Amino acid sequence: MDPNPKPNHGISAYYQTREEHHAIISGDWLSQAQAAAAAGHPPERPPASAAALSAASKPFSVIDEFNHWRRKPDLAEAVAAIMALVAGIRSSDAATMMELEIELKKASDALKSWDTTSISLSAGCDLFMRYVTRTSALEYEDFHAAKLRLIERGEKFGEISLKARRTIAMLGQDFIFDGCTILVHGFSRVVFEVLQLAASNRKLFRVFCTEGRPDKTGLRLSKELATLGIPVKLLIDSAVAYAMDEVDMVLVGADGVVESGGIINMMGTYQIALVAHSMNKPVYVAAESYKFARLYPLDQKDLEPALRPIEFGVPIPAGVEIEKSARDYTPPQYLTLLFTDLGVLTPSVVSDELIQLYL
Amino acid sequence: MPDLQALVTDFVLKLKRRKIEGSQATAKQTAELLRQVVSQQRMPYTNQASVLIDGVRAVGEQLIAANPIELAVGNIVRRVLHIIREENLSSTTAAMEGLGLTAGSDDDEGEHEDHPGLSAAAVAAAARSTLRAPSLQTLLEDIPESAVAPHPSSSGGDSEGKSKSADRSSRSKKLKHDVIEAINELIQDIDTCHELISEQAVEHIHQNEVILTLGRSRTVKEFLCAAKEKKRSFRVFVAEGAPRYQGHVLAKELVGKGIQTTVITDSAVFAMISRVNMVIVGAHAIMANGGVIAPVGINMVALAAQRHAVPFVVVAGSHKLCPLYPHNPEVLLNELKCPSDLLDFGEFSDCMDYGSLGGSPLLHVVNPAFDYVQPKLAARISNFVCSASSNQLPQPGGWSHGVKFPLLDHYGFGILDRFHGDDVESQGGHNPSYVYRLIADYYSADDLVNYLHPLLNHPMSSHDDCPSMIYGFLCSRCHHRLGGGEATARGQRGHEVRRVNSKIRIIGSAKEVDPS
Repeated sequence: MDPNPKPNHGISAYYQTREEHHAIISGDWLSQAQAAAAAGHPPERPPASAAALSAASKPFSVIDEFNHWRRKPDLAEAVAAIMALVAGIRSSDAATMMELEIELKKASDALKSWDTTSISLSAGCDLFMRYVTRTSALEYEDFHAAKLRLIERGEKFGEISLKARRTIAMLGQDFIFDGCTILVHGFSRVVFEVLQLAASNRKLFRVFCTEGRPDKTGLRLSKELATLGIPVKLLIDSAVAYAMDEVDMVLVGADGVVESGGIINMMGTYQIALVAHSMNKPVYVAAESYKFARLYPLDQKDLEPALRPIEFGVPIPAGVEIEKSARDYTPPQYLTLLFTDLGVLTPSVVSDELIQLYL
Repeated sequence: MPDLQALVTDFVLKLKRRKIEGSQATAKQTAELLRQVVSQQRMPYTNQASVLIDGVRAVGEQLIAANPIELAVGNIVRRVLHIIREENLSSTTAAMEGLGLTAGSDDDEGEHEDHPGLSAAAVAAAARSTLRAPSLQTLLEDIPESAVAPHPSSSGGDSEGKSKSADRSSRSKKLKHDVIEAINELIQDIDTCHELISEQAVEHIHQNEVILTLGRSRTVKEFLCAAKEKKRSFRVFVAEGAPRYQGHVLAKELVGKGIQTTVITDSAVFAMISRVNMVIVGAHAIMANGGVIAPVGINMVALAAQRHAVPFVVVAGSHKLCPLYPHNPEVLLNELKCPSDLLDFGEFSDCMDYGSLGGSPLLHVVNPAFDYVQPKLAARISNFVCSASSNQLPQPGGWSHGVKFPLLDHYGFGILDRFHGDDVESQGGHNPSYVYRLIADYYSADDLVNYLHPLLNHPMSSHDDCPSMIYGFLCSRCHHRLGGGEATARGQRGHEVRRVNSKIRIIGSAKEVDPS
């Protein structure tokens, strides 16, 4: 009777979230999210109810909290993770900073081990833990003030994430020039925002969307772009090399940016980057800086695969295996630049940033 | 003031007419002019820094628009703006600390306890991070708006009125004084950049090496001469650098210094490169992504060097370090020079007959001044610069030797550059992918955004009927206006669209002569 069974029946929790989010994505969620951010705090403040409820009925579970947050379509997983940790702080009855840190550490470990496939979840946890242990301002304050400050900063993180997307859109749209053709792969909120901003700045460009089998995220993106009036062409995933000649740049999002400067992203990104590289087209990545993760994959199999179901439409003969991984790793030498809220970076800057933060 | 205005217009005219040769002279004169601007600026009591910044920016925009191709102008303007911001910051934090001290010594307010978080140190840290590029570390800290708002106006405090104002006016003079001092340092840096770069020559040039260069760059010349003075014996191949043949001049100068020199044609670069140990060239500008804008022909040398895995070193002073990415249109504006470099007047004049074909001649001459060398192009050619760049330790706790594996993925050719400053005392080579780090040291993020966009005020942007306002395409008619002294034999056949991008490929009417 575990309310949050570890999702082990072939689908990773990370992938479930993605599916849920992208199934309900529509042009207005962004505006909703922005309106919410502009109005100050997000309207929902669940801990009041959720925490009270959990305090009454059962002990606080950081995973419940995380699950509550991650169902919100406009929240990135890292934000959900930080929100969950903040709720942990709020419900904690630690009396010293050290105690609180230990509790947080436990909570973040629990979160990380609950879903080992989500990169931004663990990156978000790490980032917040670093903030808790590193911030010198916390040392000079008394415990209550410090706790309040932590809660306040954590709650602001949702806004930070939205602001990061806006920054990225502003930086990225400079690279889009009139008359260019952009190849995108899968659905990424940041990429969508870059394209949206560029379109609203009256740039004339064309987008090639890959289909994004098997979850058809490309179809969703093409729908969104078409409603913005951007010319879109859909490609099947295998038509990338065929179409690359016409393409001026490749723009992809990322699930995680790893220490080497490479990215982990939806399956197919690697081959697109390879094709683009061999045809001398720039590959740009739009990713928020909280997706920078302390991973150093050496090859594709070095990552924990995020599994997902694949529908082939016909019965698969017995004894035939299916590759179910949902994402791949693109090494840094195939990437041109990263658009992040820290600025436009070359891939090697990523390791610098991570080293500064974690060493 | 009118005096200043005259100076500005004079300088703008000089820039427009391309009367100033070379980035170094341009950079120096820009800095001197901006020093004038700062020293003549009237200072109000509050918001001095923003007044200074506005003044410098207004002049700076004019200068940049006067010659958008000379990126050194924009670089210096941004450097000066950065200097003002930094000086203002250090003076306000000093004032803050002073305030904190007095408040501490007075100790009559209970509210002093209420803002322990707003102590001088915290404010200083916050303000520092507004100057710094954002980083992962500061992502969660709440600096963004709050630190910018309580600036000089709040620092004085309303309670103490007159006693502070005298103090403040002295501080205003101090800010101006500090800024001028810093600009003087900048000018000195520009002056001495050659010596500073050539100090490293011996580390890079080894005994009996063969070095190839193209054209003439003063930095390269000083670099080679410095190595010679330190008793290195080496041989230099000089590609002549058509069409201006500056290589001949360089060869003469090198021979004068007693260096063994061989002159080769540009087309012989591939033939000779297998005998070369290192390529050293100068640059026009270094872009934020590590790409280099260099005299025409250098891209070919870089390709040859890559093909034969020869280290490719670019030497350039820090004033050539440009915080823009080459997607910016001004970067793609290649300077088109006078065709008389290529063809003698009169020799081909019958081919340039305007009457022959609907008012346009059959022969066109294109004489671009610059190449863009991609940072990636030279991706595998640097052998030693990567080790030179890994000894950079600009920040305590920043980089270390142990963790450079991830960094090695992207090494390319290095950029030798020396810079001072107390937090950066290293010198030497930089990897193209680390140019961002230098840029973070030299420029404020606020100055990088669009308001210093020269083309916004440029006639070209109002030329909206031109179909070639597309990125990467230059209309030769518009460009003609931009190019100033350009006197190409072009007819009035409307818009010619040429593509001037990293590949320097020329698309356009079939009648055009491919410069290569």
